[in-house]
Amino acid sequence: MTSSTAQRKNQVLAVKLGLLALLMFGFGYALSPFYAAFCQWLGIDRADASLTRPGTSIRVEFDVNVAPGLPVAMQALDGVVTAQAGGLLKSRFVLRNDSDQALTVRAVPSFAPVRAAGLLQKLECFCFDALTLQARETREVTVVLLIAEQLPLEMGAATLSYSLQRGAAAGAG
Amino acid sequence: MSTVIKAADTVDTHGVDTHGGHHAEHHAGWVRWLYATNHKDIGTLYLWFAFAMFITGGVMALGIRAELFQPGLQFWQPEFFNQLTTLHGIIMVFGAIMPAFTGLANWMLPLMLGAPDMAFARMNNWSFWLLPPAAALLLISLFVPGGAAAGGWTLYPPLSAQAGMGMDLAIFSIHLLGLSSIMGSINIITTILNMRAPGMTLLKMPLFAWTSLVTAYLLIAVAPVLAGAVTMLLTDRHFGTHFFSAAGGGDPVLFQHIFWFFGHPEVYIMALPAFGIVSQIIPTFARKPLFGYVSMVYATCSIAILSFMVWGHHMFSVGMPATAQLFFMFLTMLIAVPTGVKVFNWIATMWQGSLTFETPMLFAIGFVCLFTVGGFSGLVLSIAPVDTQMHDTYYVVAHFHYVLVAGALFSLFAAVYYWLPKWTGYMYHEGRGKLHFWWSMVWFNVTFFPMHFLGLAGMPRRIPDYALQFTDFNTVASVGAFCFGLGQLLFFYNVIHTIRGGVGPAPASPWEGGNTLEWEVASPAPHHTWESPPDIETVRRGLIAQAVEEKP
Ligand code: HEM
Ligand SMILES: [Cu+2]
Repeated sequence: MTSSTAQRKNQVLAVKLGLLALLMFGFGYALSPFYAAFCQWLGIDRADASLTRPGTSIRVEFDVNVAPGLPVAMQALDGVVTAQAGGLLKSRFVLRNDSDQALTVRAVPSFAPVRAAGLLQKLECFCFDALTLQARETREVTVVLLIAEQLPLEMGAATLSYSLQRGAAAGAG
Repeated sequence: MSTVIKAADTVDTHGVDTHGGHHAEHHAGWVRWLYATNHKDIGTLYLWFAFAMFITGGVMALGIRAELFQPGLQFWQPEFFNQLTTLHGIIMVFGAIMPAFTGLANWMLPLMLGAPDMAFARMNNWSFWLLPPAAALLLISLFVPGGAAAGGWTLYPPLSAQAGMGMDLAIFSIHLLGLSSIMGSINIITTILNMRAPGMTLLKMPLFAWTSLVTAYLLIAVAPVLAGAVTMLLTDRHFGTHFFSAAGGGDPVLFQHIFWFFGHPEVYIMALPAFGIVSQIIPTFARKPLFGYVSMVYATCSIAILSFMVWGHHMFSVGMPATAQLFFMFLTMLIAVPTGVKVFNWIATMWQGSLTFETPMLFAIGFVCLFTVGGFSGLVLSIAPVDTQMHDTYYVVAHFHYVLVAGALFSLFAAVYYWLPKWTGYMYHEGRGKLHFWWSMVWFNVTFFPMHFLGLAGMPRRIPDYALQFTDFNTVASVGAFCFGLGQLLFFYNVIHTIRGGVGPAPASPWEGGNTLEWEVASPAPHHTWESPPDIETVRRGLIAQAVEEKP
C-alpha cells in the first residue's frame, strides 16, 4: 500500500467519524421532542407551561411559632398559597387557648426574604391588634395580602412567619 | 535484538532525514511546541497540561477541604465555595484526567502499534492547543462579575440558566474541550484501525490500544451530546429558547437526561483507559501473559455498550416511574459483571506469577484494590431505594473519588512510572517512587474513607458548613487531603529528577516482562520511531510472548 492510498483511507475514516460526531450532536437536540413525545405516550408528568406563569405568580408559605411557655396552640390552615400578581391572597389560622384563664396574645409577623414585605401588603391582619382569647376558646383568624403588580422574576416564593407572644392589650402593629 | 539496535541508531537523525509528512521540525524553543506535530511532543504537551490542571484542581480541592476542616465559615463565602467545587470538578474531569489519557495515547499508541506517528499530525496539534484557551476561560471566569459557574459540574438548570456570565465562559470552555476530545478521538481511532504493524490484528493488539479505541468511540458518541446540552443552555439563557424552562414549555429534567446520557459514558471514558494501562502493567511485573485477553476485550466492549443504558441511576431521586427505576437499577448492576471479569483477570494474571513490586506495579495493584472498593459503593448506590437516601450526600463523594482518584489518577501515576524510562531515557528513583505510592495510598484513604461515614450519617455534598456531629470525620478528611496534596510534590520532584538523569540511563527495555513494541525502540524513544514498520518477526515474537499468538 503506498502512503498516499494509506493517507486517503485515513481521511475517509476521519470524515466518517466526523459525521458520526455531527449526528450525535443532532441526536442531543432530537432528545428534546423525543422526550416530550415519550412522556406523553407513557402519560408521565412533565413540567410544562400550564404549571407556571412566569413573573405573574408567587408562592407564599405560612409559618407559625408560639413563644415557649405560652399555653396557646396555633396552626396555619392554608400553609402554602399561590397568588397572582396584583391579586389578593387570604390565609386562615386557628388559635386555641389551652389554659383556664383569658389570655392576651400578639402575633409578630416577619417575612423571608425581607424584601417580600414590600411586595406583599397586609390589608387586614389579626396581627394588627392584640387578641384576647377566653379560657379554652378556639378562634379562626385571617390575614389578607395584596400582591404587588410587578413581581421580580426571581421571587418565586416567600415565607410569612408569625411568632405568637404574650401581649399587652394596647397598641397597633 | 537487531531491531533494538536499528531503532537506537536512528536517534536524532531527524535533522537530516527528509521523509515527507513531517513539519516544523526545525523550530527552536517554545515555537517547537506551538507548531508541534510529532506525537511524542504532543503527548508531552498533553501530559504537562494535565499535570498543571491537576495541581490547579487540587488547590481548589484543598480550598474546599480547608473550609470543611471545622464547622462554620472560616475562609470563603458560600458563593465562592460553590465556585470552588464546580471548577474543581470540571477541571479535574476535563482538564486533568481526560487530557492525561489522551496524552498517553498520543505518546504510546504509535510506539505500541508500530506506527510512525498519529494519523493526522496537524489536527493533533489543534486538539492540544484548544485546551489552554479552554482552561483560561475557566480560570478567567473566577474574576468576572458574579464569579465562576457555581451550580456544580453537572450544570443543572434552572440554577445554571439564571447564573451570571461565569456560566457562559464555562459553556464556551466546554465547547472547546469537547471539540478537542472529538478531534483527538478521530486521530486515535484512525491510528488504531489503519496503522497497526503487519501481523498485529485487532485481537492481538495491546489492551491499552483496545481501551483507547473504545474510549475514543465513546467520546465521539457523547462529547457532541454534551456540547448540544450546553448549547441549549446557552440559547435558553440568551436567545429566548425554552429547552429547559418550564415557563416556555421546556423541562429542566430534560437537561438531566441529556447530561447523564453524556455523563455516565463519561465515567467510563475516565475508567477504560485506566483498565488498559493496568492490563499492560500487571502482566509485565507478573512476568506472565494477561489472563483472559479476549474476555478483557469483550468486557471492555460490553461496559461501553451498557454505559449508554444506565444514565437514569443519577436521577432516581428526581421522580421516575417505578419500572424505569427498576430498568436503570438492574442494568447498572449488570455492569458489575464485565467489571468483575476484569478484576478477576488481573488477579488471575498475578496468580503464581513471578511478581515484583516496582512503583508502577504498586500503583496498579493499588488501583485494583481501591477501584474495587469504588465499584462496590457504586453497586450500593445503584439500588434505587438506597440511592434515594444517599443521593447528594458525602457517600457519593466518597464513591466517585474511589473510582476517579484511586482509579483514574492512580493508573496515570502507574503509567508515568512505567513509561518514564522510555520517555526520558533515565530510570526514576525506585525508593522515592515507592514512597510516593505508599504516601498517596495512605492519605487517599484517610481523606476519602471517612466520607462514606459522613454520607451515611446524612451530610450533604456541596455545602460550605455542616452540623456539629460531622466535625470529627471532616477534620480527618481535611488533614488527609492536605497530606495527599503534599505528596504530589514528591511526584513532581520524581519526574523532574528522572528527566535530569534520574538514577542513571535506562535500557531500551527496563522491565523484564515487557513484551509490547514500545520496548523494542531505544530509550529515550527517538524523535522518529517506526518510520518503517517493525518487521513481522519482531511483531510475532512480542505477540507470542503475550500469548495472543500461538507458538509456531
Ligand atoms: C486528589 C485530591 C482530591 C480531593 C481532596 C478532592 C476533594 C473533593 C471534595 C471534598 C469534593 C466535594 C465538594 C462538595 O461536594 O462540597 C469534590 C468534588 C468533586 N471531585 Fe474531587 N477531590 C480530589 C480529586 C479529584 C479528582 C482527581 C477528580 C477527577 C475527576 C475529582 C472529581 C470531582 C468531581 C467531579 C466532584 C464533584 C463536583 C461537584 O459537586 O459538582 N476530584 N472533590
Ligand atoms: Cu452513572
